[in-house]
Amino acid sequence: MSDLLSDGDVIDDRYRVENYLAQGGMQYVYVALDKTTGRKVALKTPKNASARKRFRRSALVAARVNHPNVAKTLDYIEDNGMTFLVEELIEGSDLKSALMSRSDFVDPYLVARVFHHLAKAVAAAHHTGVVHRDLKPTNVMVVGGYNVESLKVTDFGIAKMAGAEMEEAIEGGDETLSASATAVGALPYMAPEAIDTPETVGLPSDIWSLGAMMFHLLSGQFPFGSGLRAVPKIMAAELPNVSSFVTSKNQFRPLAKEILNIIGSCLRKDPTERPSADALVELCNALCYTVSERSIGRVYEFRHNAWGFIRGPEGDVFYHKNSVYGPLPVKGDDVLYSCYESEQSPRALPVVKLKKAEQA
Amino acid sequence: MQLPRRYNPLGKAIDGGMSSVFPFHDQYLDRKVALKIIPPGPNARRIQDELQALFKLRSKHVVQVYDVARDAFSIGIIQEFIEGDDLFSDDLAPADAETYLKTVWQLASGISEIHEAGVIHRDIKPNNMKVDHEGILKIFDFGLARHEGTQAATIGFVGTHGFAAPELYANTVQFTPAVDVFAFGATSLFYGMRGLPNELTLRPPQALQTNPFLGLSFQIPDEVAEALFRCLSFEAAKRPGISEVKLVLEKHLLSEKHRALVVNGPKAYYLDHENRSVSLTYGKHGAISVRYDGFSFVVVGAEGSVFLNNSPAQVGDNLPGACVLTIGPPELGSKRAYVTFDISNPGIVL
Repeated sequence: MSDLLSDGDVIDDRYRVENYLAQGGMQYVYVALDKTTGRKVALKTPKNASARKRFRRSALVAARVNHPNVAKTLDYIEDNGMTFLVEELIEGSDLKSALMSRSDFVDPYLVARVFHHLAKAVAAAHHTGVVHRDLKPTNVMVVGGYNVESLKVTDFGIAKMAGAEMEEAIEGGDETLSASATAVGALPYMAPEAIDTPETVGLPSDIWSLGAMMFHLLSGQFPFGSGLRAVPKIMAAELPNVSSFVTSKNQFRPLAKEILNIIGSCLRKDPTERPSADALVELCNALCYTVSERSIGRVYEFRHNAWGFIRGPEGDVFYHKNSVYGPLPVKGDDVLYSCYESEQSPRALPVVKLKKAEQA
Repeated sequence: MQLPRRYNPLGKAIDGGMSSVFPFHDQYLDRKVALKIIPPGPNARRIQDELQALFKLRSKHVVQVYDVARDAFSIGIIQEFIEGDDLFSDDLAPADAETYLKTVWQLASGISEIHEAGVIHRDIKPNNMKVDHEGILKIFDFGLARHEGTQAATIGFVGTHGFAAPELYANTVQFTPAVDVFAFGATSLFYGMRGLPNELTLRPPQALQTNPFLGLSFQIPDEVAEALFRCLSFEAAKRPGISEVKLVLEKHLLSEKHRALVVNGPKAYYLDHENRSVSLTYGKHGAISVRYDGFSFVVVGAEGSVFLNNSPAQVGDNLPGACVLTIGPPELGSKRAYVTFDISNPGIVL
């Protein structure tokens, strides 16, 4: 909670604070009404002086990017000694809580969709010369939960600050690291050069982060582990072995392998060997994935160790274990699935086991 | 007009035909912006509504509105400053059909997003759009203040000759999305032929007897030429919606760019412009052949018991984006063959 602003405060005679929303690593976020446009916006203000330092420069750069997959930086204001960044308000949740909380991973079709959108977002930013520097699941906003109605990369604006904090954390060791939520969240996705020579961070560093994120989303594993122990592994850039379930089933192997190949190209140690964001979009253009709606239901029957039924919003849906990505659910488990009409009972594909809602 | 302190004037007005645009520097965001002043008139309420809609609109192909300033006399709109040549310039003349289709598609996308936001541009013409150094077309200069209704006739003609739909020459002027569609057709024609046929430059214009889009110096697909020509229909009701035109352009720009992944048990097949067909047989129970025709994946043969999702497969069916093929009669139960069919989602690369 922040007491920097109170409900009803008006910034620059234009933005009226409606309520406190959340805090990120560097900033407090409020919902405000833009009196000029009549729409609600996200009003962000830095937590401390070191964050404020880079707030403006980053805002100016981020405001240049205009793409449906990038949260729009609308304004930057200095008022009464405080600084504010005004961003498009996104009514959703971040990718970590939207897609990676009730299951550690999602099926390759959904990964392909997320990958494609994120590649487009990064390409739009890279076209204007903007490097995000801190791509990670909590900096991606998802609207519509598992249906991913829209997906927006956010916090381009504060990316540079995260870099500075990261440097301090790495110098300070595990103690500093654990004290910095931002650094802990960012490290598993950081490119080797971002750790080794932060001054050389450039467009390819974002490509690495995107690859690392997609590895995590596809397999549920951090590609190089987490915490400081990840550092030498990232520096070696040795491609990790992916859990066998990712490629073990006929249904998912072809697409999962294609995605893993693209991820592999993103995780090259030499930044010049990684694909450009435009090339990445092209690679994602070739991925065959469908955008069918996802539902959550509960397995109520499983027979002959082969097939069963899910009870969900569409009624009862048949599934076969070959259509399950990851561990098989048992009776009583919640699952995420898409429902295909068939001339008999509808069929679920793909099926992903979910954790109990209360454990998520 | 008194503007907020953050804006510093950057020099003289840039003449924009109907209205003038003043360049300013926004100190907060350190960027160049354009101030457009809208004169007072009877349409203040409507302008206000449309401005609200434009604020929400965030199209890659439409100028962004940032801020509004008002005084007792007029409304000042502070918007994105767009660099580049306008589409009127011969430097932007398209060299080939691909360039032409991409530009016209961007224009259709922009107008489509404007219409979806509930706004009518009212003044689509080559001078009101620019192409930036990345080849991105942006539409600007909305005719927000254009008068409509019966009083419009006394004020005078309300469009730009050559691009104004014939109904704008009537006594009672009503702006509809179809007015933008006509202007889009005329702009597309101008962009392709570097001028307009005489019939369109008359006041009021005369209907064209033959399709001029078939006579451009490069050849565009017949279906596109036909859709663009329909935009120039003299009867507003006969013009297509702009999103329909956009889809036709998209279809041809994405032709041969799709890929499909067919997973049949341990076997996976990819279909694309190089490998167009696949035939799947499941014992004596059924067989199906699918072929990529450059636009969609079409059933070219079906025998026995084959279902696309819940309907029996028939020759000529297009496979939907998300599809499970079932081969074998229902009596076989879970022993039937299930084949998944997934199509890629290519985008237009500008």
